[in-house]
Amino acid sequence: MTKQLDLLDIQGNVIRAYGRFGYPVARYVFLNIRNAARARTFVGKLTKKVTTATQWGDGIGQVKKPVWTVNVAFTYQGLKELEVPRESLMNFAPEFAAGMKARRDILGDDGPSAPELWDPIWQENRETRDKDVHIFVSLNASAPGWPANGRDLIETSYEQLELAWQWLKDIVAQHGGGVVILGGNVGDNGALLDYQDCKVVMEQGKPTAKEHFGYTDGIGDPVFEGVPYDTDRVNGRGKQLENQQWAPLATGEFLLGHIDEAKEYPPAPNPVLLSRNGTYMIYRKLHENVATFDAYLDEHGSKYPGGKELLAAKFVGRWRDNGAPLVKAPDAASKAVFDKQLAVADKEGQDELLCNFTYDADMSGAKCPFSAHIRRINPRASLQMISEPGDPPGSLKNSVGAFDTPGALTNRRRVLRRGLPYGDVKDRTRDDGNHGIIIMMLNSDINRQFEFVQQQWINYGNDFKAGNDKEILLGNHSVDDRFPSKAVLQVEPTGNDTPYILSKIPRLVETRGGDYFFVPSLTALRMIAKGLIDPT
Amino acid sequence: MFNIAGKSYAMNVITPVRWYLAWLNKVIFYAALKIPSTLSGLITLSLIHYARWVIIGRNQFPHMAPEQPREQLKYSYMLFFSNFNGSWDQYVDSFTFSIPGGLDMFWKWNVRYSKSVALTPFHRYIQYNQLETQHYYNAYPLAASNDVKSAKTVKAALIAFDQELRKGTDAEFLARYNTLLRGLQHDMGDMYPTPIVSMAAYQLERRHQRHERQLQELKAAASEGGV
Amino acid sequence: MGSNISGSAYALTILSPIRNGVVPGQEIAFADKVRDTLQNWNLLINSPMTKVPQTYLCRYFVLDDVYTQSLPGGSALDTLIDFLPIVPDSLRKWAMPTEDHLQSRYLVFSCNFHGGPNGDVDGYLQGMWNAISSNIREVWGYCYGFEKVHDAASFATYMKQCQLTASLFFVGSNDEPLPEQLKALYLKQEFARFAVANQGLDAATVRANYLAFSQRVKPTDLNGPTWVPGQYRL
Repeated sequence: MTKQLDLLDIQGNVIRAYGRFGYPVARYVFLNIRNAARARTFVGKLTKKVTTATQWGDGIGQVKKPVWTVNVAFTYQGLKELEVPRESLMNFAPEFAAGMKARRDILGDDGPSAPELWDPIWQENRETRDKDVHIFVSLNASAPGWPANGRDLIETSYEQLELAWQWLKDIVAQHGGGVVILGGNVGDNGALLDYQDCKVVMEQGKPTAKEHFGYTDGIGDPVFEGVPYDTDRVNGRGKQLENQQWAPLATGEFLLGHIDEAKEYPPAPNPVLLSRNGTYMIYRKLHENVATFDAYLDEHGSKYPGGKELLAAKFVGRWRDNGAPLVKAPDAASKAVFDKQLAVADKEGQDELLCNFTYDADMSGAKCPFSAHIRRINPRASLQMISEPGDPPGSLKNSVGAFDTPGALTNRRRVLRRGLPYGDVKDRTRDDGNHGIIIMMLNSDINRQFEFVQQQWINYGNDFKAGNDKEILLGNHSVDDRFPSKAVLQVEPTGNDTPYILSKIPRLVETRGGDYFFVPSLTALRMIAKGLIDPT
Repeated sequence: MFNIAGKSYAMNVITPVRWYLAWLNKVIFYAALKIPSTLSGLITLSLIHYARWVIIGRNQFPHMAPEQPREQLKYSYMLFFSNFNGSWDQYVDSFTFSIPGGLDMFWKWNVRYSKSVALTPFHRYIQYNQLETQHYYNAYPLAASNDVKSAKTVKAALIAFDQELRKGTDAEFLARYNTLLRGLQHDMGDMYPTPIVSMAAYQLERRHQRHERQLQELKAAASEGGV
Repeated sequence: MGSNISGSAYALTILSPIRNGVVPGQEIAFADKVRDTLQNWNLLINSPMTKVPQTYLCRYFVLDDVYTQSLPGGSALDTLIDFLPIVPDSLRKWAMPTEDHLQSRYLVFSCNFHGGPNGDVDGYLQGMWNAISSNIREVWGYCYGFEKVHDAASFATYMKQCQLTASLFFVGSNDEPLPEQLKALYLKQEFARFAVANQGLDAATVRANYLAFSQRVKPTDLNGPTWVPGQYRL
């Protein structure tokens, strides 16, 4: 890796999934601008505290790891209210200007995911000027002293989060009504809060990377060129090459102002200093219907030949307990072997076991089904597939050399995923508690990356030769009896098993709000705060 | 105008070729037809129902009546027609990602062709030379190219299966039926209306919904009057 | 060298020159009238082309003019000229794209249909005339030479005079007769539903159900239950 990113100019949440770096809790705050000049001063004040992507260390001249972090982003209207010049605004991506709500049909946010049912803050957003979401501030907190202090991790880190929150409220107050914090985030028992809280799911007093259905999240997050602390995580996370090797993805897939996989700078607004080292963020609040999920899994788990846990793994492509990928551990026996290897592996070895795999030996989907979550989100090189006359019925194979590079159809559809679960599941027999995940996705082209994956790979199946069949977990499964959702769990074409069909898949995950944001670089933040942007 | 019909998009692109080089382009197409590997990328992509390239010599535009003025063209022209699944940018992007060399091979003799990488100049080139479709008809708007192909597989398998329906015990039947399912495990995707791939597709879907309501009203009126 | 035939699929490319001039009594050019008529087809519940046998996909548009290339480019010759150490002005000008214009506007009809291995274009065009001659008249009526068309045979003759040959015809899906394709799509959808409904049932029940299914869907009967051309709802 020769490329060196200017980490002090890039916001920390772009490069780091804070949950993985010891920040188990987060609070997301949304503000409305009432006075442009005072709002800019506010942004200036905030900017001084913004956490960058720099490497942390305790040595002289090094930046210490902060106890809590601050990051900031803006919607299109937010940038407009901050008086970013019109010429710059017009060059932002059209879908960013339109916002998530206007893209509901593209995203499949229908039925129980329709904007009319979103949290009040998101329902009211982009309706009247004083309720518009303009500024996003995220606060992530760690737990200094834990576990030595013998206390609860969440409790300890919440103390820090409260300090951060107080700090934010103070500077909001100092700016004399220039910005106001918007309420309307739904919390426990329907309470409307001034923020969206998130925290990791705990198991036996220890933090996990799990969400409320019990799956480990974020294992396969993409790795791209120029991030010094990701160099040993490329296998399985970068792009798959013809020779079975892996390489980091081009920086420009995730950061504006850098060369992307098409060997060009991704389209971005002028001036360059406004966009360079910045990116687009998709914020989505996803409610998880835990009771429906459990009931559906129980119903089919009792009939599915491999049993309930294997079925749960088939939904996602990984086993629930430790994230073992199905392509490496397709059944109980191979899973036992995998578990033993995982138990004795060091950190790097574990990472290899969990992430370094391809679908080359599973082109027919007998191990990891075509509608499983991880195969749909990141098909790796498996879309270079074909069947030819004379092949065993029900089989597909790698059409070697057909594409310019094996991952041609995947490499420009990758998305960085950040975020944490929210709420607690207090009663697993009910769907209506306050529980789900906040997912923040980062990419340099919302339409080409996030929206494409959402629409073509999650809510549709043609690229997987599956017609309209959707991704099992996140698909906007139909509530219309005329269009019931299903998924086929494939088997070895030359074996004796029968494919299992998941029928009438219910809506397991519902959208509860969100919007598109621009995450500026530190340079751009300073320019925005000073009102000094010259696009000419 | 409408470029979309169900799951298919109609693309038309017209680009000039220097008349004295048009033969070269024809040779390339001929070679592509004779050497199957050149089209393996297209086949693997599997997003096209039908596509064609037509080269019109500068003196070959149809002349149908004496009063029609004669064309006086300096270039010959290449017309490209495609029926593909997905939105405009999804298609153009998929092609440049997966078979940039193939695209360049077909277009590189065209005046001011941009090359397929980098993407933005290529997008501009296609947009610049695109002709919008006024009326587009698709016999199977609910089906993608993949669906049409897998339907053929399903039909053949069911006809073959029908031959042995009454043979053997129920258990033997079930074993054969399970083998049938296994053989068709990639051919059972549902065909529902297309997801909204672009705001234009959204407009089209709304028109269909309107027509659907009109049809229902007509049916209701007919049954009221008829019974 | 080119061919309009690939397997049993046929690529029909028609460019019919539209008369220059104004529709009598109206302030609209013939070509614009053609465009407007085609536009109206979009407002119908379904396309007139649903009635034309064996049509897979087809499109109509009016070609107003060709485009002058003013974008920077990297086409083969552009690149060759880059190799010259010094480019004389005359050569640079020679490599510049020139402006080019059509003398007529053309009605373009590009159609993919099942024509059989020998490409029965006459049969297709005559079928088209027999099915939708009034629609044909309303769009082609303003074209040069169309006055000679008065029946199916003369329509086919006229169209073939307007025809261009494809240099490359790529069939990415299927070249079977349209009724076969529609029947197959119907069967695929019905079979998937059958598989869902019968999963996990005992052998005797699945067998009985399958017999009933087979009798209902009639796999070999093209006139039996099937999809209709242009069907966009189930």
